[in-house]
Amino acid sequence: MRAPIGIRISSRRKVLAISQAELARRAGISASYLNLIEANKRQVGGTLLRRIAKELDIDVGELTGESEHRLIHELEEAFADPVLAGVGLEAGAARALVATNPLLASAFVRLYRAYTAATANADAYAYRLRTDPLLSQLLHQVLSGITAVRSSAEILEEVADLGEDERRRFTGSIGRETRGLTAVARNLIGQFETASEGGRSALPRRELDDLIFANDNYFQGLEDAAGAIRAEIEAVGPFGEATLIDLLASRHDVTVHKGRIDGDEAGAYPAQYRYARETRTLWFQNTTTLATRQFQLTRLYCELSNPLAIASAIESPILTSPAARRLAQRALSSYFAGAVVFTYDDFLAAAEALRYDIDALRERYSASYEQVAHRLVTLRRPRAQGVPFGFLRSDPAGRLTKHFPLPGLLLPSTGHACPLWAIYGAFRSPESIMRQVVCFSDGSRYLFIARAITKRVAGFADQSLPVSVMLACDVLHADRTVYGAGLDLADRRADVPVGPACRLCTRAECTSRQEEALAPVSA
Amino acid sequence: MKSFPEEETGTEGDIVAIDVLIAEDEPSILEALDFILRRAGWSIGSVTDGEAVVEAVRRQRPRMLLLDVMLPKRSGFEVLKQIRATQDLKDLPVLVLTAKGQAQDRRIAEELRADAFVTKPYANAEVVSTVRRLLGDQVAKGG
Repeated sequence: MRAPIGIRISSRRKVLAISQAELARRAGISASYLNLIEANKRQVGGTLLRRIAKELDIDVGELTGESEHRLIHELEEAFADPVLAGVGLEAGAARALVATNPLLASAFVRLYRAYTAATANADAYAYRLRTDPLLSQLLHQVLSGITAVRSSAEILEEVADLGEDERRRFTGSIGRETRGLTAVARNLIGQFETASEGGRSALPRRELDDLIFANDNYFQGLEDAAGAIRAEIEAVGPFGEATLIDLLASRHDVTVHKGRIDGDEAGAYPAQYRYARETRTLWFQNTTTLATRQFQLTRLYCELSNPLAIASAIESPILTSPAARRLAQRALSSYFAGAVVFTYDDFLAAAEALRYDIDALRERYSASYEQVAHRLVTLRRPRAQGVPFGFLRSDPAGRLTKHFPLPGLLLPSTGHACPLWAIYGAFRSPESIMRQVVCFSDGSRYLFIARAITKRVAGFADQSLPVSVMLACDVLHADRTVYGAGLDLADRRADVPVGPACRLCTRAECTSRQEEALAPVSA
Repeated sequence: MKSFPEEETGTEGDIVAIDVLIAEDEPSILEALDFILRRAGWSIGSVTDGEAVVEAVRRQRPRMLLLDVMLPKRSGFEVLKQIRATQDLKDLPVLVLTAKGQAQDRRIAEELRADAFVTKPYANAEVVSTVRRLLGDQVAKGG
């Protein structure tokens, strides 16, 4: 359904009124080669595509159709919202709108994002009003004050034979109560101001997604900086916990502490690790795994050694709020650390050699399942790409807490995914891999690899919240992975028929449906 | 409407029975309630926390109780529950003052068999007419 790259290049070129020869010259290729590209007779990608995109003043994503694809996904999600039920949007409406009027489609998506953020805000307010003890206390004070004022005022108005003493008493009451109300009102306004600042949590997550997407989950600047840091570490000793601790102490005056914290810092809230900026102390719980320690030591070393690398990676107009930048800062410092622990070329070679066996990679890099899965998703360097994976993480309540999209695969950006997905099945057998070949109603097929992981606890009262992490790859690439082994990938009979999420799913006959499908549903 | 047992409204030596006991902790509200109810012709007693209510009811023998829900020490609901569970007090007419928007409060008060509700902020006339209604047959009976 998508227009091929060649046609996009040629139509964009015509819009800008640049001749084929001119564009070829600027891109540094021959006119006849460009002609072949525009006729879709030659593949184009990598540096050349970026050069062409630059000359055409357009994002690479727009030329490859990825931006469009994502737009369609978001639009489909929007069209499936209950608020549009009964409007009569047909299946394919999103696709049609993106094809005929991409600007309008973008505008619609932007409005829908604003709408969902606003709805989330309203819910947060309503919840706050119902449950916030301070607000209910303030409300009580307001009602009491008004009751007293109203009652006293009525006495002053309606009782004709009021004595001077009584008149003074009730006037005094009104004065006192209204002064009290003024203070309450100020307090209340203060409450709402703080509430509205904290309430904009729906958007930062989306903005971070956009940033990751715009970079195809590959940040060259961070990869370069990571290479330098890795070399710096290895100049001192072998990469690992011991060398990192030495370097943090000698270069950044950071002390690493393991075990119980005494005194003020011994919070009731248990965590795997914590960094106290004021005392430059990195603390680990005794039971923390080597993988966690190595990763967090690396992250801290990266943040302290090259803060500019992260700062410049998040320097983007996509991130519009401090909250979004904080979120991106955190996500990209993880990326940075991942790039140091798993250096790109080495990791790609190992992944290919080990056929993407996540546990074998963990063993090789002393890393956790999630760290490896995360790094696999970032193997997107032009001309040195690994198997394209999508990534999803779910909490035990089924809510998706992290996701990296995979072109073609519709991953819901919020809420729940299809209950049949392995990401949920994995919770039933924690710490073991669950693989699944799924088929969507449009016929596309994916290999899902999921595992539920638990964190170590420091006591009976310490809650270990398991998360399930899932990688998804197109069945076409499944034979490059160890997880395709033994599966007859050509045999569709064992495919699990799934959808993206009940609301967005067109399988009317599905017995696992938990929620009605909403428009648009094909007839 | 519940009627207060005859023998308890009667005169028992030196006990001076009052018409309405108000349990309300906000001084300005209490002052205004006291004023309008006295002006309507009833004798009034008052307490300002939940713990004092039951004892005051026994001592002052009110013909009805005007009970605020949000009281310090013991909530109006706890007080109402105890009154309804106490043999010699269970038929005391109780008017509960709830806050506007607190539908849940009203449901609880109904379950606890409150006789009437007035929602804050109220008009004075509303309180007076509700009190009159709760005392009404008593006035007629007692003369």
